[in-house]
Amino acid sequence: MSDIAAPTLHSKRWRRHCDHAAVIVIILALWSLATWRFGTYWVSSPWAVAIRFVEMIASGELLRHAGYTLTEAAAGTLIGGVPAVLLPLLLRRHPVMVAILDPFMVGGYGAPKLAFAPLFIVWFGIGMESKIALVVSVVFFIVYFATLGGVRALDAKLVQTAQIMGASEQQVARSIVLPGAVPAIFAGFRIAVPYGIAAAVIAELISANRGLGYLVQNGAMNFDTTGVFAAVLMATLLVHAAVWLMNALEARLLRWRPPLDPMMETGP
Amino acid sequence: MTALLEIRQLGKRFATRAGRAPSPWVIQDLSFSVAEGEFLTIVGPSGSGKSTLLNIIAQTDTATAGDVLFRGTPVTTRDPRALKPGLERRIGYVTQDDNLLPWRSTLDNVLFALEVQGTLDQASRARAMTLIHAVGLAGFEHYYPHELSGGMRKRTALIRTLVYDPPIILMDEPFAAVDAQTRTQLQADLLRLWDLGRKTVIFVTHDIAEAIALGDRALVLSKQPSCIAAEHMIPIPRPRNVSDIFALPGFAATYEKIRAAVQ
Repeated sequence: MSDIAAPTLHSKRWRRHCDHAAVIVIILALWSLATWRFGTYWVSSPWAVAIRFVEMIASGELLRHAGYTLTEAAAGTLIGGVPAVLLPLLLRRHPVMVAILDPFMVGGYGAPKLAFAPLFIVWFGIGMESKIALVVSVVFFIVYFATLGGVRALDAKLVQTAQIMGASEQQVARSIVLPGAVPAIFAGFRIAVPYGIAAAVIAELISANRGLGYLVQNGAMNFDTTGVFAAVLMATLLVHAAVWLMNALEARLLRWRPPLDPMMETGP
Repeated sequence: MTALLEIRQLGKRFATRAGRAPSPWVIQDLSFSVAEGEFLTIVGPSGSGKSTLLNIIAQTDTATAGDVLFRGTPVTTRDPRALKPGLERRIGYVTQDDNLLPWRSTLDNVLFALEVQGTLDQASRARAMTLIHAVGLAGFEHYYPHELSGGMRKRTALIRTLVYDPPIILMDEPFAAVDAQTRTQLQADLLRLWDLGRKTVIFVTHDIAEAIALGDRALVLSKQPSCIAAEHMIPIPRPRNVSDIFALPGFAATYEKIRAAVQ
């Protein structure tokens, strides 16, 4: 069986890499067209950006700034994500509490968090703390609602089966509710993490002396579109790395799930 | 000698929704008892409240009237919040759906009850492995439920209740959703396992042949509101060969009597 399946899978993957390369070529062509039409002053050329990117990597400048942004995004994702997962689990048996909180959670979810960035900077200063606060505010609500949905969608019969076998409330939460909600929790983080990275970059744009957002802002102030593009490229790569990491983690944690419809297949 | 489990004048009606006529009695004045080590089968047409009856015994639902007595002590409650599902691990329940935990392998599903009860040790783990071998699941210990066939899932669901050895096991048409051949195999497996321990079993089914093949005694439920319409001892000696149960002396006569009572 593996004799047949392996080359098929391999050729599929190869085919997808070719498709990706084709899309990149199209993007670069359109980009070059824009550079040619508007001039390098307004739209830096792909080649110049590539050279600058390599230079900034070599000097360590890009990685240093990316490191700041990544630290802010990671800290914010943890500080916002962990309570967002725990809260629906703890409130499972307290629907009244969930109902009381609901309008405020909806408000927090819907509020334009990026508009709070200046406020966070006033409160927490121009250091990392204000950026982390913004990432927390973005990640928390997305993950909260995703987890809540997962907890509510849980098959009540599984809980009942565990109770009949003598599982305590705490054991039900840990052994049934949490693993049952993992797919929904992942769906939440999948949306929240790229938003979180973007939030960190935007907070840096507004006021910071380091980070990828600072590089973007600095480049724009000096009319250096090449620098802006290089920093944005780095931010995009960060998002890709984070998504790749989540896919790997998800594939490991959700081995028990039946294979998804190939049409829906995403990630590596 | 007191019965292990006694059901006394049990009644059940579901809560009436506002603005509707009072809901009818699903079960009314239903009484029977089960002795230690007895394999009791209950036959009834669909909609005769068989699952409701087992849910009340397993304490996942409340009774509206009457009592359930465990070793002579009433254990019934009318308050849904005071229910004790599985009544302190003394009542095992094999439901119609296998309800396996999809994120646990076969072995981990079988060990689940031992884990939550804090009784997982070398001895109980060995017992779990013995049961896995006894029902032909050896080699599939590390498969996830979605990778197993319907019959394998049923076997896993069965032995994960047997492994923690509750004094009473309730079974709610556990083999209803599998094909006829697999069902015969599962029935044979069940009888073989039961012969090893002679647990008290209450097995609910709508299949008269199954009720005869498995039970020491068969109760027939009436249509709603259901109560016991008839009781038949099953004269077929054990061990029984499930695959040619139809040919055994006593089968045809018992079948006819039960069929007449079911209608």
